[in-house]
Amino acid sequence: MAENIATEQGQGPDKNGDEKRIIIRTVGLKKTYMMKDVLTQALRGVDVAIDQGEFISVMGPSGSGKSTFFNMIGALDSPTVGRVFIDEVDVAQLTAEELAYLRCHKIGYIFQSYNLIKYMTALENVTTPMAFGGVLPDEARERGMEILDLVGLKDRWHHRPIEMSGGQQQRVAIARSLANNPSVLLCDEPTANLDVNTGQEIIDILVRLNTEKGVTIICATHDHRMMNICDRLMWIRDGQIDRIANREDVHIELASIDGE
Amino acid sequence: MKVINIDNQPWLSLPRTLKITTDGIRYRLFRASVTVAVITVAVAFLMNILAESLIKRAVASDTRERIQKAQLNSIWASKLTSPGSPESIIVETATTEKGSDLYKETQIFAKFDDKAMEEFQALAKDINYIFNFFENLDYAKRRDLIHTSEGVDILRYLSDPENYKTFYIGLSRYKSIHFGMEKEEFDALLAKLPELDATINTILEARREANAKINAILRRDYPNANNDAERLAMALPDADKEFGDSIRSVGFVFDKETVAPELARQAQRLQYTTRMKNSIKDRPVRQLIAQEANILPADVNDVLMWNFLNDKDFAEKYLVKMADSGQDIEGLSADLLVDLAKGRKEAEALERAERLTMDAGRGFMGLGERLAWLLFVSLLVCGIGITNAMMMSVTERFTEIATLKCLGALDGFIMIMFVLESCFMGVVGGTIGAIIGALIGLGRMLSAFGVNFISAIPFLDILGGMLVSVILGTLLAAIAAVLPSWKAARLAPMEAMRVE
Repeated sequence: MAENIATEQGQGPDKNGDEKRIIIRTVGLKKTYMMKDVLTQALRGVDVAIDQGEFISVMGPSGSGKSTFFNMIGALDSPTVGRVFIDEVDVAQLTAEELAYLRCHKIGYIFQSYNLIKYMTALENVTTPMAFGGVLPDEARERGMEILDLVGLKDRWHHRPIEMSGGQQQRVAIARSLANNPSVLLCDEPTANLDVNTGQEIIDILVRLNTEKGVTIICATHDHRMMNICDRLMWIRDGQIDRIANREDVHIELASIDGE
Repeated sequence: MKVINIDNQPWLSLPRTLKITTDGIRYRLFRASVTVAVITVAVAFLMNILAESLIKRAVASDTRERIQKAQLNSIWASKLTSPGSPESIIVETATTEKGSDLYKETQIFAKFDDKAMEEFQALAKDINYIFNFFENLDYAKRRDLIHTSEGVDILRYLSDPENYKTFYIGLSRYKSIHFGMEKEEFDALLAKLPELDATINTILEARREANAKINAILRRDYPNANNDAERLAMALPDADKEFGDSIRSVGFVFDKETVAPELARQAQRLQYTTRMKNSIKDRPVRQLIAQEANILPADVNDVLMWNFLNDKDFAEKYLVKMADSGQDIEGLSADLLVDLAKGRKEAEALERAERLTMDAGRGFMGLGERLAWLLFVSLLVCGIGITNAMMMSVTERFTEIATLKCLGALDGFIMIMFVLESCFMGVVGGTIGAIIGALIGLGRMLSAFGVNFISAIPFLDILGGMLVSVILGTLLAAIAAVLPSWKAARLAPMEAMRVE
């Protein structure tokens, strides 16, 4: 798989057959923040390509530019220099409406702090993206219940976030991210705020989505269980890609780290 | 295999937008209620001022009418004894309606045909405008323009070419004052001055003649009275009988059906009132009141007397006492005394109302300039308060906005959400505020003027005012919400989340 990581050379969906289709590709991604007259370079040129159906973990110390990288590939923020292609569509070229459509239908977001809408019930949280996408209320309700069932919260559909535990909230957040059958799932440390058991449940759900539904999952994490089940691992350091490796290659290393 | 093709995001349906907005408001009920309270107070203040000025204006015109009616006696007493002044004739003619008694009377005295009378009234209206124009000028400007002349003398003063020039130079210097008459018009008016003098002299002469005739009749009919005023006071209660015919016979237009009985009634009551006022001069009568009020007889005055005469039992006792001390109680009864006392109270209320409504009807929307300024300031404060509240509300919801944008919300939806929310709060706060403001205004005005004026209160106008202030409050809230929500909606989702 390693050869697919290469950035510039021959892309195109059909090059390596359907399975190797590149879904997210960045070219020379740079981002600078202006904070109190001090320029901070969060990203210093990131080139990466992510395949369709891949489960990729992104790691890096805090302040490494990991979150910034996430926001760029999730079309949530605009890069200072460089480009982001989502399925070969240049995000920078999209109008506001098209961008909204992209965020609504193609990408699912899962945040560390869940970010559920506080005044909506679990079901409403899940059906809101559908409503934005123009799905009719009855259909949205039906589908919302199905997805809640998928994450095991069918019987809690009428609860508000405040009435649920962290794990349940994160599961609702996952359900919400799946509302419009996205191609890509962006998870920003989804298990960081959870205890070991609930974190495992979340990971199980993500794995199931990846294997059963073929959803591309890009996951920023420090959780070693997550690293264990992913296809590829990516390290970001000082705003640059430090290293990309397949899981098989890393496993030994992990073991050695654990052994220390 | 999913193929990505990008499309335009559709708009969220209105019911769903409404539901999300109302759910949000319900969740932040306390926060929202603070904003609503700000709007409520502002709108209540606005509505209060509006209601009070509307009531004041209505009461003012009602009071003028009532006073006019209640003053028939003094109007006719002065009319029958004095010919009036050129100014009073001009103002009367200018303000009366065509075809009214006064109009006809002036026509008769001036010996005008219909057309000439119409022309005279038009002229009087123009001159009245000039009177009002100079009346409303401040002293310095007035002195500069027309020196110290007053009334018709203003026109005489301005007829002088030198003064005329100074006047127009002065007008061009004071940019703030607007003289509503074209130069040609004004010239024509000045040219008519000799004609006007002649007309007024004719009228004054005719009136003088009529007054002399009335005086002769009075002297003939009441030879025992001490002076002219007393004679007239004795004659006027008969205005609906022979004396009315005498008035008509000398040339006054004096309507037998409507004016005469009312004048007679008022004159009669005035006579009784005077008699009652004199009744406390007798010591036994004073003592009765002094006992009742528990004060010294020397402190008894007519105000006290009228207060006690409100009570029918006391009035009966009082009448007996009057008769005992040898006073004339012919025509007086306990009921009449109570009625007179009530009439006095009403007259007092009228006077008070007239005093309180002196400032009504001027400035913007009849608010009076001071109130209009207050209103403007309150609107400003209200606007800033609401903007602040909305900005806070938007800022603390940046995360929510960012999340909604991640889920595919359009910028327009975010804006609509906030503007809608703001409108809701505007309508709720505005309605509560309008009701509170109107009630406070009503209460205050009623306590100031008394219940007598309840018929004069323009409820329909107040309702209209309430509608206006609700709309204004809502509009203000909506406008205040536009800027912060626009700023929030424009932000990239992650920027919004970073702000916090």
